[in-house]
Amino acid sequence: MTDFAEYVAPFEAVCADPYGPGREAAAEGRKVAGHMCTYTPEELFHAAGYQPLRIFGRNSGATTEADAHLPAFACGFIRSVLDMGLSGELDFLNLMVFSHTCDTMQNLAGIWKRAVPGSAAVTLTTPVTVGTETSIDYFKQEIARARAALEAMGSPAPDAGILESISLYNEHRDWMRRLYAARRANPNAITGREMMAAVLSSCLMAREEHLPHLQSLVEAVENAEVREADRPKVFVVGNMCQNLDYVAAIENAGCLVLEEDLCSGARAFAMEAVDASDPVEQLARMYLTTAACPTKHQPDFDMAGSLRDKAQAISADGVLILLTKFCDPWCFEVPNLKKVFEDAGLPALLVEVESHQPPAEQFRGRVEAFVEMLEGVK
Amino acid sequence: MSDEFYAGIDMGSANAKAVIVDAAGDVCGTAVTPSGVGLVSAARSVFEAAVAEAGIHADDVVAVVSTGYGREIVPNKTKAVTEITCHGRGAKALFPETRFVIDIGGQDSKAIALGTNGTVTGFEMNDKCAAGTGRFLEVMSGALEVDLDRMGAVALEAEEAAAISSTCTVFAESEVVSLLAQGVDPASILAGLCQSVAERVYGLAARVGVQPEVTMTGGVSRNKAVVRAMEKALKISVNVPQDPLIAGALGAALTARNLPSSNDNKEQIS
Repeated sequence: MTDFAEYVAPFEAVCADPYGPGREAAAEGRKVAGHMCTYTPEELFHAAGYQPLRIFGRNSGATTEADAHLPAFACGFIRSVLDMGLSGELDFLNLMVFSHTCDTMQNLAGIWKRAVPGSAAVTLTTPVTVGTETSIDYFKQEIARARAALEAMGSPAPDAGILESISLYNEHRDWMRRLYAARRANPNAITGREMMAAVLSSCLMAREEHLPHLQSLVEAVENAEVREADRPKVFVVGNMCQNLDYVAAIENAGCLVLEEDLCSGARAFAMEAVDASDPVEQLARMYLTTAACPTKHQPDFDMAGSLRDKAQAISADGVLILLTKFCDPWCFEVPNLKKVFEDAGLPALLVEVESHQPPAEQFRGRVEAFVEMLEGVK
Repeated sequence: MSDEFYAGIDMGSANAKAVIVDAAGDVCGTAVTPSGVGLVSAARSVFEAAVAEAGIHADDVVAVVSTGYGREIVPNKTKAVTEITCHGRGAKALFPETRFVIDIGGQDSKAIALGTNGTVTGFEMNDKCAAGTGRFLEVMSGALEVDLDRMGAVALEAEEAAAISSTCTVFAESEVVSLLAQGVDPASILAGLCQSVAERVYGLAARVGVQPEVTMTGGVSRNKAVVRAMEKALKISVNVPQDPLIAGALGAALTARNLPSSNDNKEQIS
């Protein structure tokens, strides 16, 4: 609990009931579109009158229904989301959007269409190679196809509407970037858990409702007295960590989660505004020129190098590679990542977790040992 | 100064271990008791037994570092430190040239790289299952009706090791049962099991990057067949302390000795 508790309270409340805002919006008659990935151009669905909602899965509980449909190597994220769909927890959604990233995500789209009764679904085939002009052209066609599908469902997204949505999202992303910058300048003002609550809730609430809360928090942190880090500063990189208990457990081990680069975190706000008159071109370019995730190939993009630079920019003492288990695109990156970090003198620890379950004792022990290592306990 | 003593209490999944060291860091008393379900009373009794063996008073102990799974529950701890740090410290004290520690305990196995000054520079722990742990051998000891303490000696008598392909403790037990049904010599099966523990843990060690000297700690290193199989996998000989069970508690006691002004914040044992 910090001085910023009142600013963070709305975000914490949403994280305590992640799908509450979506359910409420649906109950008020708004259309809600669920999706699972940062490669989903939410602006398109927003412009078509939907409230976009990131589905992260649950933070605990068995996945009995999904287990019947998935092999043992499918990750807990996919398992948890499918279980929510099968058990009716997402019945309030009017639409589910699938963006092609990893194999499991692609196959989930197929399973979903067969196994989740009565659900409308749109699939966006995001190209594997991103950032090139050909890939942007291709993605433009995919976005146009999704737009036509929305129109066929009675929800057209006019050009002016898409431009307005892009402008709202750009403004929100600018404020998110200001929040990250404010925290970097004042590392001990809010905790990593509070930061994560602000970040996650923005994907769970309507952006226009999140924005004023976000602005208040940013201004409060920017104007607060600077509190330097008094513990080792850890940079967390990885795939999904939608469960605040993990960030809290990491910090309880005696360090400060100063910054992250997670699919469920900073990566969702990395898109930069681009200049193009055609709104579809803007979306395609914006989403495909952002730093690629490990499921994609982006020529000339050095993921490990860029993460190392980020770690060094915040003077991190160590890097925690936090992976939800069974994510093979990410796992293949780990040996090189560890090497690049360690070559730069940054100790790096890989911890694989079931982030859709509460943190286990082994997790706590490993992170504590890592912090002791950073502190040089002997 | 000579009246000051330091304690390390290692609350493992199978056993509670305590070590008392004096101001010079020399061991004065050790004790081991089963952890059982009453961890607090196990922590107290193992501490009291070590104090009694050292021939000192509990009040002479100025700092207590707890480690192991139950480290937070130890009532008189000055500080809780993870078993990674403590096993590294303990192994380094027992064999000063140690740069790599392989600790195989009741429920987990660890591979720890140490810097020249004894601090941890990298580590890995088993996180999938009980394969490559003491519990795995305990289950097999039951299946083969060979005492845990004799398993290593019996395994070393085998002419060849039976192939055990399952990495899951339960499935490996089924495999043992079917090998017995095929009339395979129990010693060969034991040799195969010991080899499979070593192979599991070797995988962890290789990920961290093995550097000599290697010291093995934890109860499983009392099993000579596992040690032999580990040496074969690592292609170098390893140090095994006389009492590998207490390496973590020793490291904890030495860490207690290094704590700044450890006398100030000790909770009272009651």
